[in-house]
Amino acid sequence: MIRTHRPVIGLIAGMAVAGVAVSGCSAGSLGSNSGDPTSKGSVTISFLVDNSDSSMKLANAAVDAFNATNQGVVVKIDSRPGGTDGDNLVKTKLATGDMNDLLMYNSGSLMAALDPAKNLVPLTTEPFMGNVEDTFKTTVTSGGQVYGVPFGQAQGGGVLYNKKIFAKLGLSVPKTWSEFMSNNAKIKAAGIDPVIQTYGDTWSSQLFVLADFHNVIAAQPDWADKYTANQAKYADDPAIKGFQRLQQVHDAGYLNKDFASAKNSQGLQMLVKGTGAQYPMLTGVVPAYVAMSDTAAKDIGLFAQPGDDASTYGLTAWSPAGIYVPTTTTGEKLAAAKKFLAWMATPEACDAQSKAVSPSGPYMIKGSKLPDGLPTAVSDMEQFFADGNVSPALEFLSPLKGPNLEKITVEVGSGITSAADGAKRYDEDVKKQAQQLGLDGW
Amino acid sequence: MNAMRRSSRWLIGSAGIAFTTVFFLVPFAFIFTMAAKDVNEASMLNFSWPAHFQLLENIVAVFQAHDYMLIIAFINSSILTLASVTLLVLLGSMIAFVLDRRKSRLNPLINTLVLAGLIIPPAVVPTIWVMQSVGIFKTMGGLILIEVAFGLSFTVLTMRAFIASIPREIDEAAIVDGAGPLRLFFQVIFPLLRSVVVTIVVVQSISVFNDFQNPLYFLPGDANATVQLTLFNFQSQYNTSYNLLFTNILVITIPMLVMYILFQRQIVAGMTSGAVKG
Repeated sequence: MIRTHRPVIGLIAGMAVAGVAVSGCSAGSLGSNSGDPTSKGSVTISFLVDNSDSSMKLANAAVDAFNATNQGVVVKIDSRPGGTDGDNLVKTKLATGDMNDLLMYNSGSLMAALDPAKNLVPLTTEPFMGNVEDTFKTTVTSGGQVYGVPFGQAQGGGVLYNKKIFAKLGLSVPKTWSEFMSNNAKIKAAGIDPVIQTYGDTWSSQLFVLADFHNVIAAQPDWADKYTANQAKYADDPAIKGFQRLQQVHDAGYLNKDFASAKNSQGLQMLVKGTGAQYPMLTGVVPAYVAMSDTAAKDIGLFAQPGDDASTYGLTAWSPAGIYVPTTTTGEKLAAAKKFLAWMATPEACDAQSKAVSPSGPYMIKGSKLPDGLPTAVSDMEQFFADGNVSPALEFLSPLKGPNLEKITVEVGSGITSAADGAKRYDEDVKKQAQQLGLDGW
Repeated sequence: MNAMRRSSRWLIGSAGIAFTTVFFLVPFAFIFTMAAKDVNEASMLNFSWPAHFQLLENIVAVFQAHDYMLIIAFINSSILTLASVTLLVLLGSMIAFVLDRRKSRLNPLINTLVLAGLIIPPAVVPTIWVMQSVGIFKTMGGLILIEVAFGLSFTVLTMRAFIASIPREIDEAAIVDGAGPLRLFFQVIFPLLRSVVVTIVVVQSISVFNDFQNPLYFLPGDANATVQLTLFNFQSQYNTSYNLLFTNILVITIPMLVMYILFQRQIVAGMTSGAVKG
């Protein structure tokens, strides 16, 4: 029989664990921490930004310009992944009280999902909120309180098109859906793919449905409120048209051959090279395709997704992301965070951001101007804003956006599901979310 | 007859090589060619030889990105992998030894707990609460303990199955010769575990080194990044630099690849020399 002395082994195991835990080895910052202007008496606050190239460039430009104003506050950037992992990380950090002093996150229904009343500091009465456009404020308002300052620019959702192809075939920008479809027939006859779809990046499949919202709201102005109150459905007119349009372009054979697996960047390549003529997209992709060729900035234009009536033709717009203060930021850090937000709501901050990244849409700050010489698609979009033919996307008017929309639109756009079935399934998807949010009438 | 058997063996062998080529080398070749392209060419995602071969520039760009984050990440990942695998092997083998050799009424309960570790998925937020209350949240030590906790069940089960195959007579002979329990374990039993230790080291290092979720949630912050987190520096919704993304994949795959190739020999050697007859 063997007898091992349990206490002795336990002691060794305990020592091994404690040794590692106590030493708490962590590699410090290796790289050249740019300048580090931490002067005595200044408050350092950290700002959580998603680590996409454009967000990091924007944030760095804004933060560097702010730190140079020397207000006794130093802002440092901390990055997080984007996508679902990033969303989970933000929610985890908020839930565990570990959030940075400032965070950048989507506005609209995604912000509402952060439970702002519990997790974010209301900014409604701050004087700098007067500089923020009211259209943006509505997208960061929850329960009567305003929570955010815009970060970056608004985006348009419409159809990017290759102007050279349109000029060569003698086509004009369509104002109605039937003009759009007859254009497509001519483009296809010329041997070019009329509509580019890229379901390898599933989010890009939603554009026909989401960018159709201006047409929905033009037909029925109170649709968003009724939708939130469970009185309007995607399965009925006028909203079902977005799904039907998605199905029509597929059934007519207007898509590029590899639509099922192509990625967003491949779609942009097709558009720039002229193997595809039109790509329903958000203007956030503008910097990506501008980098692809020297003439792309000039050759690619934007038109809004056409509806049935040319007289109500207009663009669906996406509000920029917001910068928020979590409730865990208190005392002098809170005051410092507000100083940074106040500066972000000035035209100077917008200019600093324009210098870093070519803007893909207008800022939501009063008195700010866009620089000259912008890509054609951005100036096309600006025109809609100047004419006032813009509606916010549904996600900024209603807290409801079902998580499975992109899967359903891929199915409808690939001809697996009919538009009617797809719309019905999306209504089911939304129902679950509405019940989770505890909305009235569901 | 003999010739036929030889030719069929040859056929099976070459089919095996072809299979390996298609499923392992082609993806690797894709990563390699993508890593050597420029941004525009890479964004087409074609499997082709790059027009401008700029692997070196891409590697430099990947290392420089975000203030040399990749270097910090490599240091962090090495510490994390080394410390947690060492702890796993040490603790796992000791637990397995005691569980196998010392029968007690507690054994069924301990076995259930070990199995539960495999079956029940860990929840992030409550785990963070526990770590915060102990004061080890956002520390490397805390993350190492997390990795050890999540890997321990697998290690104990594997080790225990192996220890059961070591004859008790060896223990008894050692005890008769006057070895204490510590000496018995570290000088007699542990060396016999070599092959299973190598297996555990390979499997667990790869899983810890490749872990994405735990470092993301339990050790957030740029200064604490691990290599898998650096992949996100190059992809986003609208603008993904596929050439840098694939260069990053290439760079962070190499350490694991080298380790696997090195240990491959050890595994075979361990299998043969460590085998004990009952």
